Amino acid sequence: MNDRRRSTILRYARQGVAMLRGLGVTFRYLFKRPITIRYPEEKRTAVQPRFKGRHWLTLYGDGMERCVGCELCVIVCPSQAIYVKAAENTPEHQVSKGERYAAEFQINELRCIFCGFCEEACPTGAIVLGREYELAGYTRESMIYTKPMLTEPYPGSSGRDPQREV
Amino acid sequence: MSDQVPIVTLSIDGRPVTVPKGTTIWTAARGAGIDVPIFCYHDRMPPLGACRMCLVNVEKTPKLVTSCTQEAAEGMVVSTTTPDVKAGQEAILEFLLINHPLDCPICDKGGECPLQDQTFRYGPGRSRYVEVKRDFAKPVSLGPALVLDRERCILCWRCVRFGEIIAGDDALKGFERGFTSEINTPFTLPAASKFIGNTIAICPVGALTSRTYRFVSRPWDNQRVPSVCTFCGVGCAVFFDVRGNTIMRTQAREAPDLNDIWLCDLGFFGHGYVQHAERLQQPLIRKDGDLQPASWDEALDLVARKIRATAPGRVALLAGARLTNEDAYVAARVFRTVVGTPHLDHRLDTRADGPSLGVSWGMTSPIGEIPTRDLFLLVGCDLTEEYPVLWLRMKQAVDRGAAIIAITPKALEIDRFVAHHLVHDYHEGSAVLAALAQAAGGDSPKTGEVGGVDLGRIALAGEALRGAKRPMVMIGKTALEAADGETMYAEVEDLCGKFGIKPSIMRGRGNAFGAALAGLLPNTSPGGRPLAQVRGDLETVWGAPVAVEPGLSGPHIIEAAGRGELDVLYIAGADPSSDVLDRSRWAAARSRLPFLVVVDAFLTETAQAADVVLPALVIPEKNGTVSNIEGRVQRVHAAVSGPGEARGDWQILSGLAVRLGRTIAYSGWEEIFNEMKTLIPGLEVDAIVPLAAPARAVSAPGAQKSDGRETAADGEYPLALIVGDVLFDRGSMSGRSPAIADLAREPWAMLHPDDAARATVADGDPIVLTARRGSIAVMARVSKAVLPGHVYVPRGYDAAPVNAIVGAGEAVTRVRVRALVTVAGGQGNG
Repeated sequence: MNDRRRSTILRYARQGVAMLRGLGVTFRYLFKRPITIRYPEEKRTAVQPRFKGRHWLTLYGDGMERCVGCELCVIVCPSQAIYVKAAENTPEHQVSKGERYAAEFQINELRCIFCGFCEEACPTGAIVLGREYELAGYTRESMIYTKPMLTEPYPGSSGRDPQREV
Repeated sequence: MSDQVPIVTLSIDGRPVTVPKGTTIWTAARGAGIDVPIFCYHDRMPPLGACRMCLVNVEKTPKLVTSCTQEAAEGMVVSTTTPDVKAGQEAILEFLLINHPLDCPICDKGGECPLQDQTFRYGPGRSRYVEVKRDFAKPVSLGPALVLDRERCILCWRCVRFGEIIAGDDALKGFERGFTSEINTPFTLPAASKFIGNTIAICPVGALTSRTYRFVSRPWDNQRVPSVCTFCGVGCAVFFDVRGNTIMRTQAREAPDLNDIWLCDLGFFGHGYVQHAERLQQPLIRKDGDLQPASWDEALDLVARKIRATAPGRVALLAGARLTNEDAYVAARVFRTVVGTPHLDHRLDTRADGPSLGVSWGMTSPIGEIPTRDLFLLVGCDLTEEYPVLWLRMKQAVDRGAAIIAITPKALEIDRFVAHHLVHDYHEGSAVLAALAQAAGGDSPKTGEVGGVDLGRIALAGEALRGAKRPMVMIGKTALEAADGETMYAEVEDLCGKFGIKPSIMRGRGNAFGAALAGLLPNTSPGGRPLAQVRGDLETVWGAPVAVEPGLSGPHIIEAAGRGELDVLYIAGADPSSDVLDRSRWAAARSRLPFLVVVDAFLTETAQAADVVLPALVIPEKNGTVSNIEGRVQRVHAAVSGPGEARGDWQILSGLAVRLGRTIAYSGWEEIFNEMKTLIPGLEVDAIVPLAAPARAVSAPGAQKSDGRETAADGEYPLALIVGDVLFDRGSMSGRSPAIADLAREPWAMLHPDDAARATVADGDPIVLTARRGSIAVMARVSKAVLPGHVYVPRGYDAAPVNAIVGAGEAVTRVRVRALVTVAGGQGNG
């Protein structure tokens, strides 16, 4: 009888110590600065250097589009997220360097797995994966990014040097 | 084969290969499944050895040899993979790429480019060339369909040799030498060819590209749908390359017994109409004088109500070439049983009294046999304009020594390959034929002339004809629809009788042959047998009584309508206002016809005058089969879906039958095809199913009422009008395919230089042709292809309909030509 009682007390004591040790961690961190941030009120200042976020279609320094509508990104894309329809440049309407440009360029950001193959395949360095990771929308349609959404607003605004050689 | 070709055995990469003597090493290697890269060599043309890409090592020869030019010899030891061969291939590719711009991302050939593929597979992967590349202005336009990029050209000469050897039109030539060599058209005029699309197909780089396919798609975007081109009646096997729901381009599908690997430019670039914005999308009903959109139920109910309220014998069907075999069969079944009328036909563009209606259209021997014939007699058949790909097959025979005798009122484009070209006065064709038959018999005067043709030349042609062993005789529309067509046909048949052959009737465009096969003829059943003979079978399969009395044929239906003898006319895929030879006949018919239904893809002139217009699908949107001029039944696959509410023809007819109180429903084209098989012996996909020859009622030769008053030239209207078909025109479909409309250019008329000089007209001037009935404005083409006193005008231009000035009652329509002069402002009132 006594033995049984003693072992029960010992068990409770062991459990109590374990709980206190666990709570010790909790209390220790209670008084440290948190490592999480209060997203979306707070945001990170920088992502890792090789981070792959939203796509941009980049421009040359003179504002010409780098994309020539070759569709290599379309064929390399493992999730078939890209649609390109090319057209011919005319002297009055010169969009890119060369005879061909992308009249339509769409990326389905829901399908995209951010592998970066498109950037690797691109012969002119037109398509790049940027830093932006806030890719959410209320409808599926809004997640199909069209050419005006993808084209960087001014040369270099995606963070890539407009003068870079590929 | 009686004489055995000797056999040689050689070793290629250690494998023994046995080939007939005369085979090149390259061909032997390919037969053994060994891949040797090539650029200039093309197996439809003789070897050239220009690109040096096919180098192989042959033992006991001091250098590498070009395998495409080297004949295989007994005991030869060839290797294609030794280090010296590899080094040779790398060197050649590095050399070819010196001036190649490597703009693959922009180039349309990217992804299906032999240069790209072979550089990837055999190339060195680097270049020592750091100097500036050859710089040409680009792109260069070589006509409405062709674009040239000289920087990409590797000077393999395939396109030049295609024009010299395959097509015989010399459309492209090489100019300059060495570093500055370039391909261009003679005199830098737009490429004059009907086959230029083939040069794009065989170009091993992206130098020649198509304007219609320029930058619109990539090979990996395209879904290849096997189908059949149904423009002319040859029925070439094609692929439609489809992206999304749009046909991007047409490519040839290899069919050795048909089009081989070639197409004509109408086939290559003529698909634009399918996606045209003017395609009909929903049914239209005439309300208060205007055609207004309606629902299918509304439209079909109205048609059914009108047909029910009419005596069966006062309803007629005209169906055109847009129908598949299954559509045509269901049309025949519905109109013969449910409507109960025998008046159905697919032939419109014929004289009511001419020979065309009494014969079965199509060739009497397979297309695959053309290259083996030794003589061709073309009577009123403009082969390159009407059945262009047949010319490519005929050219093969000509290269083997076959002779062509052509009897036409206008010189053919293939003039220089025609050994005996008898260009005659339009109304004298039968006289020339009679003289030829006489000459073939061995007795003919060598001097004098008949119908504008020197008798000496006829004698020579007759001699050639007499010596022929395997001749082929083709009689075409120009002869059959001439005033003396009946006589010409009888003479041609007599001539054929001497050789124990039958003439090929070169008539019918699109799927006219399928329409005839499926029973869209007033006097025959599906398969072409007389109705009385198969009435029992028909009634068993169709489950309804079938009348055996022959109905009215196409031109007679229009005449009957003009006399007020018809109440309802159902037109599916035909456009009588532009198809009939004499437009006034159609106008009379329309004005006296109480109810006209038109089923078509576009609002054609006929449809604009209809009471109900139903939107239909076109052949690239349908599943089923079509027949060609030799009777070959081929499968078509729906490449794209139709616009709006447009429906297939058999579905429309099936819906109509239900409203007429009988259910004729099918699950799909296969069920219809199987039903057709029970009525048409030998019907199979890819089989040649000839039409049973109809009993022909020929009026005796010479019975033709040739009216001297009409044929004689008079001062006011001095020129005889020849009407013909051309490949590129501007009709309801071709005019809506931009490349074809460009190739067709303005409506035109061809004049002899003497006549042009008399009317003070130069080549390219706008002129007005005036006949007794009216006039049309066209562009003058001045050429010696027509004889003095004649003017040739093509059909098929909606803007200048030649059938508006032709009178069906006239033996020869006579016209005068005036230059169209722009009157300076203010002076036109006097």
